[in-house]
Amino acid sequence: MSRAGKLGIVFSLFALAVGLVVFTAMSFLRTEPPTVDLAAGHQPGQPVHLTVETVGSVGYGVHPQWVSYLVKAPNGQWVQSTLWNLPAHTKIDVTIYQYDSGSPLRNQQVGQVYGTDGGTATLNGKTIRLVNSNAGSGVGHTFSVPSLGINVPLAGVSGNKICSAAPCLPNQWPHNEVKFSFTTPGVGQYRWQCFVPCGLSYLYGNGGPMQTIGYMGGFLKVVD
Amino acid sequence: MAIGISKTLDDVGRSGNEPPAPQTSSRPAWMSQHLGTAVIGAVAGYAFGHWIGNVIAAGYPNPQSNGENDIAIVLALVFGVVGWLAGIGAFNYPLAKIIGRAPAPEAPEVGWTRFFKYNLDHKVVGFQYMIGVLLFFFTGGLWAMAIRTELLNPTNHYFGPGTYIAIVSEHGSMMMMMATSVIIGPLGNYLTPLLIGSRKMAFPRVEAFSFWMFMAGYLVILTAIPLGGFPTGWTGYAPLQTQATAGMDSYLVGFIVIGTGMICAGFNVAVTIINYRAPGMTWNRVPIFAWSLLAVSSLLTLATPLLATACYFGILDRTVLTSIYVDEHGGSNFLWENLFWFFGHPEVYIMAIPGFGIVAELLPVFTRRPLFAYRVGAAGMFGVALLSFFVWQHHLFDSGINPDMRPLFMLTTELISIPTGFIYLVGLGTLWRSKIRLEVPMLFCLALYFNFLFGGISGVFVSDVPADVTLHGSFFVMAHFHYTIMGGLMFAFFAGIYYWIPKISGKMLNKRLGQIHFWCMFVFFNLTFFPLFFVGILGMPRRVFEYAHNLQVWNDVSSVGAFLLGASFLIFIANFVWSIYIAPKKAPANPWGSLGLEWQTPTPVPFFNFERIPVILSDPYHYDEQDPLPVADLGGGLVPVAAGAVGSVDMPGEPGIEGTDPGGSNG
Repeated sequence: MSRAGKLGIVFSLFALAVGLVVFTAMSFLRTEPPTVDLAAGHQPGQPVHLTVETVGSVGYGVHPQWVSYLVKAPNGQWVQSTLWNLPAHTKIDVTIYQYDSGSPLRNQQVGQVYGTDGGTATLNGKTIRLVNSNAGSGVGHTFSVPSLGINVPLAGVSGNKICSAAPCLPNQWPHNEVKFSFTTPGVGQYRWQCFVPCGLSYLYGNGGPMQTIGYMGGFLKVVD
Repeated sequence: MAIGISKTLDDVGRSGNEPPAPQTSSRPAWMSQHLGTAVIGAVAGYAFGHWIGNVIAAGYPNPQSNGENDIAIVLALVFGVVGWLAGIGAFNYPLAKIIGRAPAPEAPEVGWTRFFKYNLDHKVVGFQYMIGVLLFFFTGGLWAMAIRTELLNPTNHYFGPGTYIAIVSEHGSMMMMMATSVIIGPLGNYLTPLLIGSRKMAFPRVEAFSFWMFMAGYLVILTAIPLGGFPTGWTGYAPLQTQATAGMDSYLVGFIVIGTGMICAGFNVAVTIINYRAPGMTWNRVPIFAWSLLAVSSLLTLATPLLATACYFGILDRTVLTSIYVDEHGGSNFLWENLFWFFGHPEVYIMAIPGFGIVAELLPVFTRRPLFAYRVGAAGMFGVALLSFFVWQHHLFDSGINPDMRPLFMLTTELISIPTGFIYLVGLGTLWRSKIRLEVPMLFCLALYFNFLFGGISGVFVSDVPADVTLHGSFFVMAHFHYTIMGGLMFAFFAGIYYWIPKISGKMLNKRLGQIHFWCMFVFFNLTFFPLFFVGILGMPRRVFEYAHNLQVWNDVSSVGAFLLGASFLIFIANFVWSIYIAPKKAPANPWGSLGLEWQTPTPVPFFNFERIPVILSDPYHYDEQDPLPVADLGGGLVPVAAGAVGSVDMPGEPGIEGTDPGGSNG
């Protein structure tokens, strides 16, 4: 075989092998939860309704034991995703169904409501500015967007009957209903995160779902 | 030239240092063990370990709560490594000895298949290491491409934040693992006996074991990605380490595996240099590269056990829930940070010293001048090695350590610039007023001095407490250590590869392609990393995938430089494949006109290196002499190097072993 032929074969095989490895690795690494698009079809001036739920253990997928957020897509399906497209400069009406238990907070600061419209939220219909985590069932999670100055504590559910497989339905499981509103800023990606260490069986509760997009943290992807 | 030895050639000829005679293996071909059986062993071991880990611990509260059985994963990785070693045949000999059976005869193999087997020839192991470190380097380089892709834009992301830090961590860990062995593995194993006149390494089995552990470490650290990655960077800080997901197990097991290989490699090289020097190879005749290998071997042997121990503690915390690094239960995460950096800073010099050893070895060849201040250079290497154990807390200036400790460690850190300066000045002194031959290896040597100047001086900045308070954790530090490791070590590595490949392979690498590779690598390296000093000073933190918009231009310059830098290595690969396999051009016996002992051996180097143990007559740096004699008497009489008589030994007719190229010139 000629030198050119040898060279062609060697480089073709090399390029093929490297290409396959890189493609496989990149495909794997770019795997992330789907982005739920709540901006599509949005009418200017109208608020967007964002409905999410928290569940003590998602019950399926790669990490079935992990605590997680889910979001209701425009088609009514519950989706395990923390990446949400929202329209810019728009009022977002948020409803969170909190199905998880709670505990006293290490940091009482995140027991306060701030950054929402009016600086308040409603907990089962009652307006609140603070959840006292040392009373009742404590706080299970928070919905916090540091760059927008938003923090909303989600009071824990009392009792032993806790939903442990998503999606949880309001008429079947005890829950707390938390409502609040905020207004999106300009286009950009804004990190949101639960600030209550809730990664069960991880040191200080900060591992696992607390570090993983799709469970206890995600992005508000604000678009035009 | 005074011989200065008391033994005659007949005294030392074939006695004493005699390797076992070649034997014929009775094992049928289908039963032979090679890379394929190693992979099968690794997969089987992984499956067995995972199964047994689930049997032991699946019912424990932790796996029940978070669905992650770290015991199963650690056992899977450990048994995977054991299976890998069993599959390659690493246990055959020791097990046979343990049970009292005569080990199967092991013949010195010939042919390309020996490179895929557990081979005891230091030259084969050296070549295996060369391919291994390149595999490590290019894999780590692909991770670097992914990092720079993500950083092209400050707010539009290609990866998620968790994936980004997993990639950064994988890149850092792989590159550090590679860099500890990049010189001592390929060139140290291949050249140590040739440099000092030995017929073999002290412990051939330990040497082969170190290589196959090195490759096992490669596989183990790669498993971190499918296991979810780890969020700590290469430093693995607790308590983040303790609360991380399963990919962290790969990091901890991987560094133990790699570390064990490093200890074996370092111990073997050190014992070989100390005990296997040929008669007449007095300490002041030992090549400066061998001095650097001895210094780095000392560091590997003394520092690496700390890392392995620290990782073992981490595994205990993650699996059986000890609290060695958990503050609130009586442990201390500072313990990890101290243990890690007590290894980690000597590690920096494990990477730097052999690079300087290579360039100091090559400069006299290409300047035709004796090595300037040889003893100062050797002393500088050991000075750096010694002081490297007294500086580790400068990594913790900002971590809340006792403030009174900071001036002390600032002082010790700045002290280390003195022996480093010795080494640097030895090179500059050799270059001073010399007629430089700008061959490809020499280009890489000169680039090292250029790059290391930036790396070294920026290191003085970050060793200074007030400056470090501002620069710590920023891209400035990142640029600093890339200038020292990539700009120093990797340029030295390629200098060594271009220089010694004619001896290793018997083929010359294409000079024009080599020059193109050098200039691309040099320009694009600086294009990649110099802008990072700016963005670091302007406050861009490491390991964060989002940054300020005003830093985008410099980041884009760096990313474009990185892609082009990555492409420059394709030129090297093309050169390597072209020159070795596609259009091989036989190398002259001594293409650079070196006085080094390794160039007196035939090419390819015979199995036992030297027919008779050589008698060393001088150091290899007397380039200022007219018609210098070879540095050693190999038993065939002494003929000046300029007369073209290097490699005067004709080897007996072993298959695949050629005699001296009679037509070779000394370039």
